Amino acid sequence: MFSGLKDKVGEVLLPGDEFSLETEDTISLTERVKPEKVVCGPGLRRSGDRLLVCKSGVLRHKQPNMFWMDSQQRRYVPAKGETVIGIVTVKSGDVFKVDFGGSEQASLSYLAFEGATKRNRPNVQVGDLVFSQFVVANRDMEPELVCVDSSGRANGMGVFGAGGLLFTVSLGLARRLLSPHSEVLSDLQTLFPCELVVGMNGRLWVRSSSVQQTLVITNLLQSCDTMTAPQRQELFRRAAQGAL
Amino acid sequence: MMEVCGSSNVTLREFGSEQSLLSRPDGSASFIQGNTSVLAAAYGPAEVKVSKEIYDRATLEVLIQPKVGLPGVRERAQEQCVRETCEASLLLSLHPRSSLTLILQLIHDDGSLLSCFLNAACVALMDAGLPMSRLFCGVTCAIDADGQIITDPTAAQEKESRALMTFAIDATERRVMMSSTRGSFSVHELQQCIAVSQKASEKIFQFYRDSVRRRYSKTL
Amino acid sequence: MKDTPLSNCERDFLLKAIEEKKRLDGRQTYDYRKMKITFGTDFGCCFVDLGKTRVMAQVSGELVTPKENRPNEGIMFFNIELSPMASPAFEAGRQSELSVKLNRQLERCLRNSKCLDTESLCVVSGEKVWQIRVDVHMLNHDGNLMDAASIAAITALCHYRRPDVGIQGDDVTVYSPEERDPIPLSIYHMPISVSFSFFQQGTYLLVDPCEREERVMDGLLMIAMNKHREICSIQSSGGIMLLKEQVMRCSKIASVKVSEITELISKALENDKKARKAGGKCGFAESMPQERITALKMDETPVEMTDVTNRANDIVQKAEAPPQTVPSPLVPVPGVGQVGQGLHNTWGLEEEDEEEEDDEEEEENDNSCEEQEETKMEEEQHEKEESGGGDVVEISDSEEEEVVILHPEKPDNAPTNTGSSSYQRGAATSKKKQKK
Repeated sequence: MFSGLKDKVGEVLLPGDEFSLETEDTISLTERVKPEKVVCGPGLRRSGDRLLVCKSGVLRHKQPNMFWMDSQQRRYVPAKGETVIGIVTVKSGDVFKVDFGGSEQASLSYLAFEGATKRNRPNVQVGDLVFSQFVVANRDMEPELVCVDSSGRANGMGVFGAGGLLFTVSLGLARRLLSPHSEVLSDLQTLFPCELVVGMNGRLWVRSSSVQQTLVITNLLQSCDTMTAPQRQELFRRAAQGAL
Repeated sequence: MMEVCGSSNVTLREFGSEQSLLSRPDGSASFIQGNTSVLAAAYGPAEVKVSKEIYDRATLEVLIQPKVGLPGVRERAQEQCVRETCEASLLLSLHPRSSLTLILQLIHDDGSLLSCFLNAACVALMDAGLPMSRLFCGVTCAIDADGQIITDPTAAQEKESRALMTFAIDATERRVMMSSTRGSFSVHELQQCIAVSQKASEKIFQFYRDSVRRRYSKTL
Repeated sequence: MKDTPLSNCERDFLLKAIEEKKRLDGRQTYDYRKMKITFGTDFGCCFVDLGKTRVMAQVSGELVTPKENRPNEGIMFFNIELSPMASPAFEAGRQSELSVKLNRQLERCLRNSKCLDTESLCVVSGEKVWQIRVDVHMLNHDGNLMDAASIAAITALCHYRRPDVGIQGDDVTVYSPEERDPIPLSIYHMPISVSFSFFQQGTYLLVDPCEREERVMDGLLMIAMNKHREICSIQSSGGIMLLKEQVMRCSKIASVKVSEITELISKALENDKKARKAGGKCGFAESMPQERITALKMDETPVEMTDVTNRANDIVQKAEAPPQTVPSPLVPVPGVGQVGQGLHNTWGLEEEDEEEEDDEEEEENDNSCEEQEETKMEEEQHEKEESGGGDVVEISDSEEEEVVILHPEKPDNAPTNTGSSSYQRGAATSKKKQKK
């Protein structure tokens, strides 16, 4: 049923490309026929009995039936459950307004921090960075962030940022850094020790032992987008030798 | 009966495009057709002004910047042509209460300007990763005094032409999404120009595909 | 649209880096970013890339009447456009503080320094002079817009050729480039602005600040200078107190930078001249970097024309011919021409009708009106079923109250017609009621 789709995995597709989702005419009598479901990720939409590509990029596939478009977008659109780096812009009443690079600012409650109570408010200043997760993110509602997981633990989230540098990369690179067994990350580990926070919104924060090293990592990561793996490894190797 | 086959006028000038050439916008592209060149930048989905907010879809703004002076009536008319074409191809309802801004900067006008604006707009929107239901392209045809069709005319050819037509053509069914015409022509000539434009659009769509493929060649 | 806010950590880091004499892109304190000057296809069009900052300048000339107090001098006009293309914080067609500041600085740098021989722009004293207009468009804002704009503007002025003018008696003829070669402007010197940003109350100094450095700086000093080491304008903003030595040091740095940049501009102009002489292609299209993966170019391609003619013919033939006969115009009253009937307006007529009609009918009408809405859906179904039977009454599916036209061919008895039609409608519905 999805053979047409599977054939195209790893290929570059453009908006307007379509796939038919009609079932095959011949049904095998011996095997049990299971109704197949396909999970469409970003960049794919169903229209009638067809599947429509609406973003340019590379078609990706994950077992069993997940498909999505991998694109090099820069503007972030929030999705529930994703973790982002936000900048606090306003402190008002019992919520903070947080800029995360989307179409509107997200709200973050005072109480959505680990251990926060009405009396014990977290120490957050305007301009601070928060690493937080979306609990509400859909197109019709104001996005809402929290800095605790479902069990009330910070789990790495919260206010951070002293001594490091924030910069932006394409969303594609941020996802590549976050993917398990990321090649870019393992290449980076060979350089020098550093702390890295990656937000799904394309914001990255780096801190290492010296300003020089932080700047080197920043510039390396920003140039990763337009490099193939061998080129990148070559560059990282040179950086490690101190050429930069 | 007018004959267009084998005519040497039916060519597209050399054309090219560069994507993501500006660092600030969410998507940017330059599009060049012969000497005509246009720079396009797209922002969005971004914050929208309350006065321009639409509750169930994104607000699309198209700004055309001339090279000299401030935008006038001509630019406004072109803005409208481009905006309506983009609105038809973008899935605006996916980002309600947000704004999409498309800025087109004229770099050099040597004929077929509106089609160049349309092509630059399409590449920039694609580069910005905005959800689109289809791609589109613009083709300009001129009919000269002898009744010959010239595709992608230069400014000099435009000046001498009897009629000038620009069509926005959609990628999936090659339908006409927008037309803007000037001068007089017969129904038959119009149909012929549409048919020529549809043929020419295939080249441009193939070019879109090739350039996006080239762009992603390192992350495959 | 708002710009992305600057976070505290960026601010702290930048200041710390500046203290350690480090910059975000690995430059030294006095380094300019990579500068690239390209020209457009026509004269007087120049692009300047300063790192990621990109501006375009276009010079144009126009014959105007001179100012009364300066009858022999041409006019120079500068306009800096902060297009939203450059940054989401810029708004189209609105004068912001920044655009006023940049415009003013460019005027001081280029007009007040008398770098251009304005008297040579005079055609007829007191009647016609050239107005040289410089439009600077910001395409991408990554800091130091002023330096990029001043370089673009002066280079575009050097590159510009104005049309030649001939005067015979009282006639002024402007020759097209084909008739007579256009002539360049006479430029005495090239003022170039160099920006210095100060941090920590003037303790630290950077040349050519990028956007994030501009955001954390305390003060800015702009020095416009030519290669003869003459200062054309100097401006300090941001309200910091500078010592005499600091200004002297800056002017020394500026003189070095200006001579480097002047060298680059003259080289670029020379290159472009050569390319134009050789008849090769030049301009924006040629400046597109071919080696980048984001760029692609196609050569001139013929469009396949097979079966285009056939297809067009097909469409034309298949298309239904537009009705050739136009309904003949009608002249109901002298002085009025009319084609077609349109629809009869029953909006105002209803009450009148009711008055005219008998009580009996009125009652029936009211009833039917009420019930009509309820039975509308059913009626529509009925209508389909009895499409054969409903030869007299037409019920439109529109939301408006049904308009029934019995004999539209007779416009003469229109008023009575409407009356009777509503009667008919009542009758028709009642008929249906009976059927049910």
